[in-house]
Amino acid sequence: MKIFLLILFGALAGIVGGMGMGGGTVLVPLLSFLEIPQKTVQAINLISFLPMCCVALIFHAKNKLLKPKHIWWLIVPAIAFAVVGALVADIASDSVLRYCFAVFLLAVGVWQLVVAIKFIVKKRKQKQSEITNDSSDE
Amino acid sequence: MNLTAKSKWILVIFSAAAGFVNGFLGGGGGVLIVALLLAVVKLHQKYSQATALLVILPLTAVSAIVYLVKGSVDWIPTLWATLGVVVGGVAGALLLSKLKGNVVKIIFALVLIAGGIKMFF
Repeated sequence: MKIFLLILFGALAGIVGGMGMGGGTVLVPLLSFLEIPQKTVQAINLISFLPMCCVALIFHAKNKLLKPKHIWWLIVPAIAFAVVGALVADIASDSVLRYCFAVFLLAVGVWQLVVAIKFIVKKRKQKQSEITNDSSDE
Repeated sequence: MNLTAKSKWILVIFSAAAGFVNGFLGGGGGVLIVALLLAVVKLHQKYSQATALLVILPLTAVSAIVYLVKGSVDWIPTLWATLGVVVGGVAGALLLSKLKGNVVKIIFALVLIAGGIKMFF
């Protein structure tokens, strides 16, 4: 049963991750249902995304969705601080990591929702102004 | 498009933060990288999401090595979950070229909020 759930949760997170939306933010809370220590969950998350990332990148390259210009400005600092973060995680307790992750998810979730709603409102307004412009032309 | 010095500083500082988060929490840095590509590099949603993987790949590899060296890896559950993630990842990559950016975003936001609430209990 646990093996089935591991595969299922992995697949669900993989779908999100393959879309390039940080599937890890989905896999970690899912795996927290399975009574696995938080640090082990985080390690599962990191390792499982390596092959997925490679596969997804091949698809995105074929669909011409990759725009690597300026990418070094992100890669270099991100890698340096990933090492620092991972070292800090090693000395943190599982419960601290778990609560930090929960706070992070809520913050990102609310933020993304606000961004999406703002975008929809903007589009609606644009459409409405187009309609009024069209009718004033007649 | 060329980046201003200010934009470069923003990229460096926030991607460092994304890297720290990714190493500390074992994931989640991708969300911040996507946001940077959208807001600073001015890529469209689909391109940002795809290109972010180019940053997340080395970031995740480096974090994973640290976890491995520190003995936090349990290989049996890791391999089963990885099998699922690869299958799902292929499906997700195929879907991305078809779905509308906004639909994806709202679903994603709701999933995150649900996940965050769940982890508190």
